[in-house]
Amino acid sequence: MIVEAYERLPIALTVNGRSYDVTVEPRRLLSDVLREDCGLTGTHVGCEHGVCGACTVLIDGRPARSCLTYAVQMQGASITTIEHHGASGELSALQQALHERHGLQCGFCTPGIVMTMQAWLDENPEPTEEGVREALSGNICRCTGYQNIVDAVLVAAGRQADMRKAGK
Amino acid sequence: MSSAEIIGKPLLRREDRRLLVGQGRYLDDLAVPGALHVCFVRSPYAHARIVSIDASAAVEIEGVVGVFTGVELAEWTTPLRMAPAIEGLLPVESTALPLDKVLFIGDPVACVVARDRYIAEDAAALVEVDYEALEAAASFDAAVADGAPLLYDDVPGNLVSHQAFSSGAPENILDTAEIVVEAAFHQHRVTHAPMETRGCIAEWDEGQQRLTFRLGSQAPHPLRSQLARRLMLEESQVRIICPDIGGAFGQKIALLREELVVAALSRHLRRPVRWLEDRMENLLAAVHARQESCRTRAAVSPDGRILALTLSMDVDFGAYCFYPANYMARVVAMILTGPYRISSYGYDVKVALTNKCGSGPMRAPMAIASWVMEGTIEAIARRLGLDPVAVRRVNLLRDADLPYAMQTGEVAGDITPAQCLDRLLADAEYDAFRKRQAEDRERGVYRGLGLCSVVEPSTYGSAFYKAAAIPGSGHEAGWVKVEPSGAVNASVGLMGSGHGYETVFAQVVAEGLGVDAETVRIHMGDTDVAPYGMGTRGARGATAGGSVLLLAAQAVRRKALTIAASMLNLNTADELQLQAGRVQRRLADQWSDTGVTLASIAHVAYLDPLRLPEGLEPGLEAHRAYDPPPMTYSNAAHACEVLVDVRTGKVTVERHTVVEDCGRVLNPMIVEGQQHGAIAMGLSGALLEEVVYDEDGQNLTGSFADYSIATAVEIPPMRVINLGKPSSSTPIGSKGMSEGGVMGAIGAVTNAVNDALAPFGVVAERLPLSPQYLRSLLRGKT
Ligand code: FES
Ligand code: FES
Repeated sequence: MIVEAYERLPIALTVNGRSYDVTVEPRRLLSDVLREDCGLTGTHVGCEHGVCGACTVLIDGRPARSCLTYAVQMQGASITTIEHHGASGELSALQQALHERHGLQCGFCTPGIVMTMQAWLDENPEPTEEGVREALSGNICRCTGYQNIVDAVLVAAGRQADMRKAGK
Repeated sequence: MSSAEIIGKPLLRREDRRLLVGQGRYLDDLAVPGALHVCFVRSPYAHARIVSIDASAAVEIEGVVGVFTGVELAEWTTPLRMAPAIEGLLPVESTALPLDKVLFIGDPVACVVARDRYIAEDAAALVEVDYEALEAAASFDAAVADGAPLLYDDVPGNLVSHQAFSSGAPENILDTAEIVVEAAFHQHRVTHAPMETRGCIAEWDEGQQRLTFRLGSQAPHPLRSQLARRLMLEESQVRIICPDIGGAFGQKIALLREELVVAALSRHLRRPVRWLEDRMENLLAAVHARQESCRTRAAVSPDGRILALTLSMDVDFGAYCFYPANYMARVVAMILTGPYRISSYGYDVKVALTNKCGSGPMRAPMAIASWVMEGTIEAIARRLGLDPVAVRRVNLLRDADLPYAMQTGEVAGDITPAQCLDRLLADAEYDAFRKRQAEDRERGVYRGLGLCSVVEPSTYGSAFYKAAAIPGSGHEAGWVKVEPSGAVNASVGLMGSGHGYETVFAQVVAEGLGVDAETVRIHMGDTDVAPYGMGTRGARGATAGGSVLLLAAQAVRRKALTIAASMLNLNTADELQLQAGRVQRRLADQWSDTGVTLASIAHVAYLDPLRLPEGLEPGLEAHRAYDPPPMTYSNAAHACEVLVDVRTGKVTVERHTVVEDCGRVLNPMIVEGQQHGAIAMGLSGALLEEVVYDEDGQNLTGSFADYSIATAVEIPPMRVINLGKPSSSTPIGSKGMSEGGVMGAIGAVTNAVNDALAPFGVVAERLPLSPQYLRSLLRGKT
């Protein structure tokens, strides 16, 4: 096997509304670029093969596995990571519900779950328990047994609905 | 809230905020400038001689610093010799990396060090290792067969441990009994799969001649001792620092070989060196667990009373011994009889070394015990045509029997198995279920309900280890310090990986001392800061760690009140108490504020010591160690309800109910979270997970696509009811929990599936309860 020296390409990434200029090999994973080049270590890598969901970020508003995405594909895209949820110092309704319902233990899966379920809640504002379980099934949590996460998502949905009503 | 009542409150976790906003600091989040990265070259063979290793192409790559093998490592480290003086257990020795032979797929043979991880992986692919393949012994039976290939020259027949015990002449009773019921239980190999894989960062400071070693460890102090010894350093030359840990479950206790290698390389290269395990390495080569086959024989009376019981157990331990190979199996055998009165019992336990990844403890290392005991009860009920609840009841320990010394000498004290079972049958709607089940069967729908009683050991005090001839201690240590401003710091030798210790222990210290929980900060996981304790394992956190912190906090409170008494010109502190950091005095049965605060006491203690009562030394702190009883036992009863699709073999778990008595509950929210997690791990393991090796020792499960872990869809709604009868033998009153859920879930779900399959006259005696396996039982019967 021959290992070639890979060409390194300059790219401009937009992450959480901020732009980052990085120079990367084409094979470099988005998860590694976010964590190492941008210093945003909230995105976690649990499997590097697309199964566990820990590395989920939003690409142009849609959840995606950053471990299955090459950073060079992201030129021009807008990426959102967990650091976006918390930048204001306030927890989102979903984060607050996870806290109150004890929906995290070691917390390693948590950023991926917040990213996945927030995007899902935005599209499914009135979820059923079954729906939540289905939507959550792309994220492995080894600690909690999921029950409290499911409860938290339902609580967050209820609070978001109240906020919407109050806003009307 | 009065500070006397902080323990037991569902305080929200203070660790959550940082984890929720992506500010947790796990190992790989720590930036270390100039750190080199390591990648291991691993064996593709289950058993092979290493003929030669050629790294010439690898070192040519730009950015590669070097490639190192077992030969170099052997100069820098001492071998691990696992040789406790236990009858029936043979010593096993292993080097940092293999010198001449690999023993399983994934065994590390060389180590590439490079500027970054991508380069290290590129180079590792270019290391040419020439192997001479050897025949593999990839199962218990293959390993102990005549003429089997030997893994170690000094372990004849690969039988590393053989232990037998008998009390009350069980064999004689079985020989003459009219009714003998036999049952078999095969537990498959599984692995911990924490969401954060292993990894470490080693920084050797040449000036100070000191190693700082960062890794996720459940037991930082024992790990430091082991690392120092194997690097031929003093304990004062090694500092372990644990960042946030993304799950451990028993996989992060012992020093494993990769970690030793990384530490040795940092010292050799005088550079920081880091390693992060990938998921495939974690699945193939971290630590596996639980591959055990059990057979029981029970002599019973016609009403189901167990007159004698024997257990024979065969363990497939894998290739390396980072733990005494008999240890996990021995606990199973010792506690097997659990909540039942059984006056004649014996066991015969064999442990074989095989060409597979080595085994270690995994959350509930004795998990199989409850399934084996409760499955035996079910087998008795089937054979005698009795209701399984009736068989349980005739054997169950009653309050009048307690404390009960099992035949093995284990003493179950404050347990409540009958109360838990009664409450469970009511809450799980047992009788209504039987009706529903019968109606459904009429229309070809097969439901099952499985019960499982659990007696969960925890604390493992020093006396337990002594009795089991395992070296080491079971104590825990902690300190509590009030700083000159009145701020409270505390530390304990444990390290958590999601347990909520920062919150729970703050509650314990707050109540013991008499302050608000918010004012207490807990420091763990740094061996320069924390006292030498034995770490997190065996569900001992609350009982051992909570007890020692309570004792230390109470000692500080006593000193604080002594100082307060003298500040108030009182002769004694008898009529004083600390509440929320303020000293109150009892006058005519009323507590009233004295104006003295913990802060003012601390000021005197540190900065105005001439005002201290005579004989008191300056400062306000206490350090305590606590050695718990040999064992404390908690108990529970589980009920699992399943639906089995007999055409496909698919099992759906519909609900899981538990009544548990783990003694005093320090934080009910956190305890329930632990119970949920344990139940889920048990169900996931019983239904889905399996490390699959083929006959030649090829591991077929190197990714999460092959090693499947239950998701939110497979885990049912869970309900846990706590009956907390405080332990009378520990200061804090808790009895330990968080492993019993695994034990109970495995037993309950398997009994449930067998209940569902009862009309077909088949019994599942292997895990996982996969569709393929269940269909194989049902073929020709549906
Ligand atoms: S790390 Fe990307 S899905 Fe697991
Ligand atoms: S909280 Fe540990 S993996 Fe989810």
